[in-house]
Amino acid sequence: MVCRVMNVVASMRTLLAAGVLVATAGVADAQSRTPGGMPPPTGMSLAESAAMRFPQPVRVGDLLGREVLRPVESQDVLGRVRSVVRGKNGDILIVVDYGGFFGFGSRPIAVPVNAMVLLGQDMEIVAFTPEQLGKFATFSPSGTTPVADNAIIKVGLAKPSH
Amino acid sequence: MKSLFRPNEIADASILDDHRPLLRSLERRGLFRGGLSLGALAMLTGCDVKRPASIEAALLGISRFNDDVQALLFDPNKLAPTYPASMILRPPKFNAYYDVVDVKPVNGATWRLELSGRIADKQPWTLQDLQAMPQTSIVIKHICVEGWSYIGGWTGVRLRTFLERVGADLRAKYVAFKTTDNYPSSIDMASALHPQTLLALQYGGETLADPFGYPVRLRTAVKLGYKNPKWVTAIEVTNTYPGGYWESRGFPWFAGL
Repeated sequence: MVCRVMNVVASMRTLLAAGVLVATAGVADAQSRTPGGMPPPTGMSLAESAAMRFPQPVRVGDLLGREVLRPVESQDVLGRVRSVVRGKNGDILIVVDYGGFFGFGSRPIAVPVNAMVLLGQDMEIVAFTPEQLGKFATFSPSGTTPVADNAIIKVGLAKPSH
Repeated sequence: MKSLFRPNEIADASILDDHRPLLRSLERRGLFRGGLSLGALAMLTGCDVKRPASIEAALLGISRFNDDVQALLFDPNKLAPTYPASMILRPPKFNAYYDVVDVKPVNGATWRLELSGRIADKQPWTLQDLQAMPQTSIVIKHICVEGWSYIGGWTGVRLRTFLERVGADLRAKYVAFKTTDNYPSSIDMASALHPQTLLALQYGGETLADPFGYPVRLRTAVKLGYKNPKWVTAIEVTNTYPGGYWESRGFPWFAGL
């Protein structure tokens, strides 16, 4: 009898523990989706996820030279905005001088504007990890058209990652 | 002459050998260390150091004292620095206690500003009512307690003008705000009456965008960023301490600049 009661208690404990695990997993999931960075949930396009971030008008010339950060607490600098172009299919691409060390050894890569957000004076790449960005082809302007400095484009927002 | 303190019978020298490990462990630094922790305990006189709640209360007491000192030092006529319009960051920086995807836009047409407390005319205000009031523009720095800042241009109704119009008791202690994002906030009356404290309706000459508090937010140049609630829906003038979202989580209430 006593043994049975203890068994019940033990199984309740297991249940409780499982519940706690599920709850923590839920929190972790919520955090991985929303803190400044995303990446977009599976099945959601970049454009759809960017639309959830209240895209705001910004002058292209005001973006040039801005620091591009990684959406993590340490806000590592990934590079700087070099230029803004329109790709072959009309999508806006932000050309980022990516990587390197103190500006040496960086190379330009073209990141879809919908993968980036504005953070005050800075920008963040929220939809790609550094590993993914490292595999981006070095940007070549052929087939793209530059976007004028005084053009207005729309870029989503995020809360600071720190 | 023989020292007065010299014992008549001198102990056997072998006693030193017997207690060598103990003698070795005697260190003057140990005394320092002991003194330090004693000092630390003395700082918390009156507290049971085993109970964090009492330590928290003591620290909160210090924070309230800091608030009072800041309030004493506050000069209601001193203006915060302003900047040329060319320095306005467009768009401004978004921040909240949640991410931007959770912003709930407010319908300006049905929005009402509710008034309560020590106010003579508690008639709710519409957005048109506020737009019809004299508008003031300021270009000021938004300084966040986290360490970042940006220069922003805000246009709206001076809170002083508004409080005077509705017949608020300007000798009351606090002006409290409620918002649609459950971010209560409150400021002292002196800061509420400061000429650089606005009920802001515009940013950079354009209607406030949704993530920045449309239709109305508080924008004051004399407080840290977290004292600037967005999407304001109610104002109360009161003598009862109203607190605020971050203040109830240990942030200083006065938070002056």
